[in-house]
Amino acid sequence: MCLGVPMQVVEHDGITARCEAKGIERSVSLFLLQHEDIKPGDHVMVHVGYAIQKMTAEDAKISWELLDEMLTEEELMGNA
Amino acid sequence: MTDARTWLERIRALPLEGKIRVMNVCGGHERSISMAGLRGALPPEIELIPGPGCPVCVCPEEDIYTAVQLAMRPDTILVAFGDMLRVPCNAPKNEPRTLEQARAAGGEVRPVASPSEARRIANENPDKEVVFFAAGFETTTAPVAGLVAEGIPANMSVLLSGRLTWPAVAMLLDSETPGFDALIAPGHVSAIMGPEEWTFVPEKHGIPSSVSGFETPSLLASLYSVLRQYLDGKAFLDNTYINVAKPGGNPTARRLLDMTMDVVDSTWRGIGTIPASGFALKPAYAEHDALVRFQIDPKQARKRIGEMPPGCDCARVVLGKLYPNQCALYGKACTPRNPIGPCMVSDEGACHIWWSSGVRPDTPQEAVSAHY
Repeated sequence: MCLGVPMQVVEHDGITARCEAKGIERSVSLFLLQHEDIKPGDHVMVHVGYAIQKMTAEDAKISWELLDEMLTEEELMGNA
Repeated sequence: MTDARTWLERIRALPLEGKIRVMNVCGGHERSISMAGLRGALPPEIELIPGPGCPVCVCPEEDIYTAVQLAMRPDTILVAFGDMLRVPCNAPKNEPRTLEQARAAGGEVRPVASPSEARRIANENPDKEVVFFAAGFETTTAPVAGLVAEGIPANMSVLLSGRLTWPAVAMLLDSETPGFDALIAPGHVSAIMGPEEWTFVPEKHGIPSSVSGFETPSLLASLYSVLRQYLDGKAFLDNTYINVAKPGGNPTARRLLDMTMDVVDSTWRGIGTIPASGFALKPAYAEHDALVRFQIDPKQARKRIGEMPPGCDCARVVLGKLYPNQCALYGKACTPRNPIGPCMVSDEGACHIWWSSGVRPDTPQEAVSAHY
């Protein structure tokens, strides 16, 4: 559950954002980032549907590389 | 950013002697370590120990028993993170032992990936009671606090099984045999609560520590840091995930946790009660607290506090005292397809992670160290 997914904000209404990662869009709550100024194009770390921190584009990219590696490994190992 | 290969070279160049045991306290870290095969790439002196980093694994039986009982009420929809559905509790014969079995027996159980989904289900089913069984560490409990603070539907309540991670590490360190020499502290817990929560580890116990991200370069940078600290005899709290685990954590999340929840003594499955280690909804939110709303008799539920299923060594795995494949059930009676204990159920359980990484019961311990 603690494995977050970095996503890019496409647009938001202040409380909920439409976020994108790898072509997949999700509705993400910004309720825990009330102290941040979030703009379209920003990257956020998303955990159970809530953005928990703003992050840099570079950090988001590195996190995605890790997730890609893990997904590939799990497919190879037949995760069951 | 320095890449993984460079960090590995720096670690290999360190004058290590004897065994140095480094514990992680996050299932996400253990997954990264196992999937990247880090144990095999590191010098043999370094022992990487998975610690109490799986919220599903430490969720007490009484909470699962209560969730199963609520799921069997005809007027109720029980909503839980998918990981929780197959975790067993001790129940009388012929009664469901898991939420999955409760569903098969006619209870309405729905897996969700987010507290927002739980709220949507409540809004879509106004004639039903919707109970959100929320088990998790600070990273998951903060969004639950957000949900409660934002306002939840009248027909919705929360069965909260939230836990704080640092008290489990404090308990290990206060014990006679902590079992580790350095600590990799959890990145996303620190993103919420602030990395400062972990300063007690080096300052009170002299144990080298570093908050880490989940990518291999961040993990190796943290590992290099704690090894250097160990060799230099100077323990402090480092942070290699500074852009996400920011000083002070997430101020909104912390404010909402303070606003909606109290920190209380809590039971950890197979471990017992750890002081000030869990979250409970504040009395102001009692109408949305499933324990109050359904008048759960704690004495009845607490009867369910049992040991692990016979032969299951999950508790010792969670405490870092035993490697997953040293459990007699690992890969024999207990596999992800037919799990006996929670460590094999959850994606974040050390047993599940090791199995997914290819460790089998007949894999020799030297090979585990060499390849995984």
